[in-house]
Amino acid sequence: QEYTLRLHQFLPAQANVPVQVLDVWADTIEEESGGRIEIQRYPAMQLGGTPPELYDQAVDGVADIVWTLPGYTPGRFPQTEVFELPFMMTDAEATSRAYWQLAEEQDWFSSIFSDVHVLGLWVHGPGVIHSGEPVTTPEDLAGVKLRAPTRVTNQLFTNLGATTVGMPVPAIPESLSKGVIDATVIPWEVTPSIRLTELVTNHTEFEADPLYTATFVLAMNQAAYDNLPEDLQQVIDDNSGLEFSAMAGATMQEYDAPGREIAVEAGNNIITLTEEQIEPWRAAADQTIENWVAEMDGQGLDGTALLDRARALIEENTSE
Amino acid sequence: MTALRPLVTLIARVMALLGGLVLVALVILTCLSVIGRGLVTLGHSDVLTGAAPGLAGWLNGTGVGPIPGDFELVEAGVAFAIFAFLPICQLRSGHATVDIFTNLMPGGIARTLVVFWEIVLALTLVLIAWRLYEGFSDKLRNGQTTFLLQFPVWWAYGASLIAASAAALVGVWCAAARAAETVTGRPIMPPPGEADH
Amino acid sequence: MSNLEIGFWSFPVLLGMIFLRAPIGLAMFLCGIGGLWLATGSDSMFLAKLKSESYSTFSSYSLSIIPMFLLMGQFATLSGMSQALFRAAESFLGHRRGGVAMAAVGACAGFGAICGSSLATAATMSRVALPEMRRYGYSGGFSTATLAAGGTLGILIPPSVILVIYAILTEQNIAKLFLAAFIPGLLAALGYMITISLYVRRHPDAAGTRPPVPMAERMRALADVWPVLLVFGLVVGGIYLGWFTPTEGAAVGAAGTGLLALASGNLTWALFKQSVISTAIATAMIFFIILGAALYNSFLALSQVPQELSAWVVGQGFSPWLVLTLILAFYLVFGCLMDSLSMILLTIPIFFPVVTQLDFGLSAEGFAIWFGILVLIVVEVGLITPPVGMNLFIINAMDRDTPMLATYRAVMWFVGSDIARVVLLVLFPSITLFLL
Ligand code: NA
Ligand code: NA
Repeated sequence: QEYTLRLHQFLPAQANVPVQVLDVWADTIEEESGGRIEIQRYPAMQLGGTPPELYDQAVDGVADIVWTLPGYTPGRFPQTEVFELPFMMTDAEATSRAYWQLAEEQDWFSSIFSDVHVLGLWVHGPGVIHSGEPVTTPEDLAGVKLRAPTRVTNQLFTNLGATTVGMPVPAIPESLSKGVIDATVIPWEVTPSIRLTELVTNHTEFEADPLYTATFVLAMNQAAYDNLPEDLQQVIDDNSGLEFSAMAGATMQEYDAPGREIAVEAGNNIITLTEEQIEPWRAAADQTIENWVAEMDGQGLDGTALLDRARALIEENTSE
Repeated sequence: MTALRPLVTLIARVMALLGGLVLVALVILTCLSVIGRGLVTLGHSDVLTGAAPGLAGWLNGTGVGPIPGDFELVEAGVAFAIFAFLPICQLRSGHATVDIFTNLMPGGIARTLVVFWEIVLALTLVLIAWRLYEGFSDKLRNGQTTFLLQFPVWWAYGASLIAASAAALVGVWCAAARAAETVTGRPIMPPPGEADH
Repeated sequence: MSNLEIGFWSFPVLLGMIFLRAPIGLAMFLCGIGGLWLATGSDSMFLAKLKSESYSTFSSYSLSIIPMFLLMGQFATLSGMSQALFRAAESFLGHRRGGVAMAAVGACAGFGAICGSSLATAATMSRVALPEMRRYGYSGGFSTATLAAGGTLGILIPPSVILVIYAILTEQNIAKLFLAAFIPGLLAALGYMITISLYVRRHPDAAGTRPPVPMAERMRALADVWPVLLVFGLVVGGIYLGWFTPTEGAAVGAAGTGLLALASGNLTWALFKQSVISTAIATAMIFFIILGAALYNSFLALSQVPQELSAWVVGQGFSPWLVLTLILAFYLVFGCLMDSLSMILLTIPIFFPVVTQLDFGLSAEGFAIWFGILVLIVVEVGLITPPVGMNLFIINAMDRDTPMLATYRAVMWFVGSDIARVVLLVLFPSITLFLL
C-alpha cells in the first residue's frame, strides 16, 4: 500500500460500532482504493491518551482518523448539542440525517470543524437509563450517582435531580464496579461491549419518545486527507457524508435490539415508560432546553433558530 | 552554581508545599462530598422517611449534597500537585534507578553516567514543559471547558504549566550542579533521600 | 527498518538504558518518543502527543488514589500510628519467625484488592510497612521482596479492575470470573506464606524473632491501636460496602489519619511539611514512571510488536499445550515492560479468538475463564521478576539502604512460588473452575 492511515477510537474492537460501522467503512476504502490505502485500526485507545483527546489527535495528526463525541470536549462544538437536548431525537437515522444537513446548511465544516476533514456525523439510538435501583420517575434519581456522556446530558440529569459525573464510555464498567457511579445512560447497542447487564439490572426505556441521544463525529486529519491524490480523495468522499452518516446512525439503532435481548435473557428488570409516565420527565426536562437556548443566545449563536431548524430537519427526515 | 542553591531549594520546597496544600484541599473536598452524598441517601432512605418524615423533609430541603463537580476538581487539582512534586523529586534525586551494574563499574564512569542522565532528564523536563505550553495555548484558543463546572480547561493546564516550568528550571540547575560537582569534586547537590533541614 | 523491527529493538535499548542507571521513567519516556519518531518518520506525532500526554496522565481520577494514600501513610507514620499497628501485629506474631512479613502480605492483598493497582499498593504499603519491618529486624531485601510480591495479590481479589476488563474483551460473565479467581487467589496467599516460612528457615537472620508476649500485653498493644484500626476499617469496609469509591476511601483515610495525628499532638507544621515532602518525592517518582510507560506503550501499540508476536504464536500450528506455554511466557516477558492493563488490551483481542479454537477438553466458557485467570496471574508475576519489574523498582526506590541486588535475590523465592502455582493451575484447570 502507498498510504497508511491510523484509525483511533475508544471502544473495544469487537463492539458494534467498530465492527458494523468503522470496519465496514475502512474495508470498503481499502478495497476501492485497490489496496493503495491501508487503514490500521487502533481500538480501545491503544495509541494512548484519553477519549476527550481523540479530536485533538485528529487535528494534530497523532491519529489520521478518529471516531469520537463532540460532547467529550464541552465548549468547542456548542451547536452540535442541539441534537442532544431532551426529547429531540426520533430515530437515529432521521436524526443523523438532520445532523449532517444542519452542519452543511450552517457550514460547520469551515467553522467549528474547520481544523479536521469531517467524514461522518451521526447520533445513536434512543438513550436508556441503566441503574442499580429501578427508575420510573425523575424523583427516583435523587441521590443517584449517574454517568452521562456530554455537557448537555449532564445538565439534563442534574436538572432531573441526579448527581452526575461526566465520563467517557470506557470508564463505565470500572466506575460501576467500584461504586463511583450507580447508574449510567447509554443506548442498548453499547451495553454488550461493556457487559452492562451484569453490572446493573434495571433499565428504563423511553420508547414512545426517546429521552436523549448523543452526537458522534468521524474526523480525518486535514493534512492526511490533502496528501492523498485526487482519485483516492474521491474514494474517501464517495464513502463519507450524508448517506454514510445516515447508515451509521441506522446501524447503531439496529443493534439496540440484540443488546436489549441480552438484558431480557438475563431476566433483568426492563421498565418501558408509557406516554403518561413520560409526562413528568418532559416537564422536568424543559428547564434544560430553556437554559441551553439562553446560553446559546448569550454566545451570539441564536439558540431558538438552531432549535427550530434542528426540529424541522428531524421532522422532515422522520416523516419520509 | 552553589550560590543559586538556596533559591532552587526554595522553589522546589514551595512548589512541593503548594502541591501538598492542594492535595490536602482535595482530600477535604472529597470527604465533604462523601458526607454530603451520605446525607442525601439518608434523607431519601426508607428508614428516615418512615420514622421521621419531618426530619427527612428538612434534610432534603437544606440542599445538602455531594459537591458538584468534585470529580473534575480532583482531576485538575491532582495534575497540578503532581507537576508541583516534580522539582523536589529532582532536587533530592528521588527517581527510581537500577544500580546493580553501575556498582560494579569504576567510580569515574558511574559518576559520569549520573551526570549524563541528569542532563538528559533536565532536557526531558524542558521538553515536557514546552509541549505543555503548546497544549495550554490550544486550550486557551479553543475554549474547551469541563463537563459540569464548565470552567475552562486552560485554567488547569495553566496551573500545571507553572509547576512544570518550575520542574524544568530545577532540573536544569540539578544537571548543571551535577556536572560542576564532577569537575570540581566538591558536593553541591543536597544528599539524596528525604533528610530535611 | 520496519516498525516491527524498531519495536523489537526498543527492548534491548530500554534494558541497556536501565542498566546504565537511567531513571526508569526516563528510559521508558525516551524509548517511547524515540520509537514514535522512528516509526512515523517525523517528530510531529510525538510532539503533538506530548501536548496533552503529561497532563492527562497526571489528571487521572483513579490514579489520584496514589498521592492520597501516600499522604495517609505519611500521617500514620508520623503520628506513630503505623508503629503502634506493627507493635500490635508483632506482639501477636513476633514469636513466629516471619510472622510480621506474613501480616504484611495479608495487608498488601487486602489493600491491593481495593485500590486496583499493584503499583499503588506496593508504593503505599512500603511507606507504612517497610520502616516497621526493618525495625523488627527484617533484612532489607526480604522486606522489599515481600511487599513487592504482596502487591501483586490484589489482582485476584474482587473488585479487580483487570478482571472486569478481561471479561469485557472476551465477553465473559464478570461475576463468574470473580468467583473463579477465588481459589487461585487463596493459593497465592498460601504460597507466599509458605515461601516466607521457607525463606526465614533458610536465612534465619533475615527476620527477627523473640519469645511470645503474654496475652495481657498483647491486649494492651491492641488497645493502643483502636483509632488506627477504626480508620483503616472505615476505609476498607467503606469501599467494600460501596459507601465510597477507592479514591474517596483514600481521601477519608488521609483525613482520618491526619485528624488522629493532629489529636495526638504530633502533627506540627514542621512535621506536616516533612510529610508533604516525602509524599511529593514518592508521588513524583511513581508518576514519572507511569508517564514513561504510557508513552512507551503507545509506541509499542503503533509498532504492532505485541499484535504481530501474538499472531505469530497462534499461527505456527503448535500443539495446544505448547501454544499455551508460549503465550504465558510471552506475558511473563512483556509483564516486565508494560503495564498489565495496556498489555491485556493489546493482546487479548488477538490471542483470544484463536486460543478458543484449541482443544483442552474444557467447555468454551470454562476455557475462557481458566485462560483469563492464568493470563492475569502471569502478567502480575512479570511485575516482580528480575531484572525488570515495576513493583521491584518502585519499592526499592522507597528504601535507599537496600541494594537492588538484595531485592532481586529475595524476590526469586516469591517468583518460584508463583511459577509453582501457575504450573499447578495449568495442569489442573478444575482448581480454577471448581466453584463455578
Ligand atoms: Na519482570
Ligand atoms: Na534501593
